[in-house]
Amino acid sequence: MAARQRKPADTRRDDRQDGGQDDRHDGPRDGRRGVAARARGLFDAFEHLVGGLGTALLALAGLLWLVLVALTCVIGLGLLLAPTVPRVVRSVAERERGRLSRWGPEIPDLGPAPAGVRAALADPAVRRELCWLLVHATLGLFLGLAALTLVMDAVQDITYPLWWRALPVEDPAPTLVFWDVRDDADAWAVALLGVGLAVCFLVLGSGMARLQAWPGRRLLAPTADMDLSLRIAQLSATRAAALDAHAVELRRIERSLHDGAQNRLVAVTVLLGAARRALAQNRPGADDMLERAQETAEQALAELRTVVRSILPPVLADRGLADALAGLAANCGVPCRVDVDAPGRCAASIEATAYFVSAEALTNISRHSRARHATVTVRRESGRLSLRIEDDGVGGADERHGSGLTGMRSRIEAHDGRLTLTSPPGGPTTLDVELPCGS
Amino acid sequence: MRIVIAEDDPLLREGVALLLRAESLDVVATTDSPDTFLAAVDAHRPDVAIVDVRMPPTHTTEGIEAAVEARRRRPGLAVLVLSAYVEQAFATELLAAGTDRLGYLLKERVGRVGEFLDALHRVAAGGTAIDPEVVAQLLTRTRSDSGLERLTARERDVLALMAEGLGNTAISERLFVSEGAVHKHIRSIFAKLDLAPTDRADRRVTAVLRYLEETQRRG
Repeated sequence: MAARQRKPADTRRDDRQDGGQDDRHDGPRDGRRGVAARARGLFDAFEHLVGGLGTALLALAGLLWLVLVALTCVIGLGLLLAPTVPRVVRSVAERERGRLSRWGPEIPDLGPAPAGVRAALADPAVRRELCWLLVHATLGLFLGLAALTLVMDAVQDITYPLWWRALPVEDPAPTLVFWDVRDDADAWAVALLGVGLAVCFLVLGSGMARLQAWPGRRLLAPTADMDLSLRIAQLSATRAAALDAHAVELRRIERSLHDGAQNRLVAVTVLLGAARRALAQNRPGADDMLERAQETAEQALAELRTVVRSILPPVLADRGLADALAGLAANCGVPCRVDVDAPGRCAASIEATAYFVSAEALTNISRHSRARHATVTVRRESGRLSLRIEDDGVGGADERHGSGLTGMRSRIEAHDGRLTLTSPPGGPTTLDVELPCGS
Repeated sequence: MRIVIAEDDPLLREGVALLLRAESLDVVATTDSPDTFLAAVDAHRPDVAIVDVRMPPTHTTEGIEAAVEARRRRPGLAVLVLSAYVEQAFATELLAAGTDRLGYLLKERVGRVGEFLDALHRVAAGGTAIDPEVVAQLLTRTRSDSGLERLTARERDVLALMAEGLGNTAISERLFVSEGAVHKHIRSIFAKLDLAPTDRADRRVTAVLRYLEETQRRG
């Protein structure tokens, strides 16, 4: 099951988020890209299935330990070992939570398991983890093994015509092949079977990955009441971040007003005073001073405009996000395409955040990426505004170097949004932002 | 009068220098940071320093610290501090060590050239120049039982000008009254506020500021 809302057909978003193939394309121009993304999605599905196989083996070990402890209870030894069971189960479950959080909605860690068997059994989270352990150690293990076998057999069979002659004569057929291979025709039949297996994985792969992850997403996610307390903790943290971001923003505005317009206006009064003095005493140079005063006043106005625009760009208020972003793209040093499909208006602060994140990202692209093209995509559905900024540059953007990205993140998290940066060395760089914007 | 200016905004720095030179005053150096300012004080031995509060590197109170250091190196140096904002607590702190040869003015007062030059000369001559805004803040924040309510409107005007550091002659010119009338008002003010009477402007500023500070509303 897709854990996230499926996006409409024309949204190019990161399909790795749910291991599926949500990726569709809106024209022949994007055809090659669509195929590449599809291949990547398939590769991710395989990776998830193999990763799932790893945790399934751990779950199996945990399950065997549980059974062993239960059996040895008869001779008393199990009673001593029983308290280790919730801890073992929790540590396996945390591993799966971490794994699932890396490619889907985050499943928060729960911390250490309750001490003592009785307390652990009273905890609904532990009971759900036990259910998950059972399902993942069986179904999850089966799906992981099946995927691995399918892919390995497909590779083996497709390449079979290339190397079957090197095999000893008494070993005439690979796994799953029920006929003897005596000549090239038989070998090509094996390759055809391999293609069939590959198509099988092509069709089933992402579904299998989702099915394997499903018990974990259902049973390891916090229940409604637990979810609420975790949510409160998270909201408190983001609220504090919001206040911080707000204070930083006010400080920035204060500084730019002080250093810019205010200093200019003081200079204007000084120049005007000097000019009046010169006029009153019939000294030369008054006109010169007045001209400088006028120039300075004009600079003050220009700086005021800059500050005002940085608080809330008037174009954003008047014309909406699409036009504001188009304006940004037009001024970007790299050719930039803007694709906005977000009907209606969001809260001003959300639109402003989307705008500033885009501005910052496009500035970074112009300065550092050496990209030839950039794309800004905005979609709005089910109460969320999703913003994606991509470029075909050199990649290697790192949040730890450069406060721009940190600033972006705190600004986004202040609105309870999410930021995901994918920027491998060599590129491409993709910045995904999600912001809640009401319905 | 030898003057050194420390102001990091180039436009304002040159504007002030231009204005003072047009008045045939001797601006011996203009500087843009605490370090260059202190070096200029050592090199040029000025009589007066005009110092911006906010200067690099952190743009907080570097100017004040540099001014204090300059006075330590060169006792008797008159300092006129220019600030973009008036912060009354800050003024109090600045003046705590004494008000001699000290001025604290909003930057835009420079544009009122006549009054600015008065303040500059007053500070250079050993007096005080406190921005009217600081005095206004002090006056509005005093407690209701401070004794100020016993003053007449004219006496309050005189008190405010005294607090700014003006002498009797200057006060009489500002208020368009005779010096004798100013003298009479001041005696009355000191009596009503229970302050020891004095005619020396510098002592008066200290007394009046301390009085206003002590009668601040708490909390």
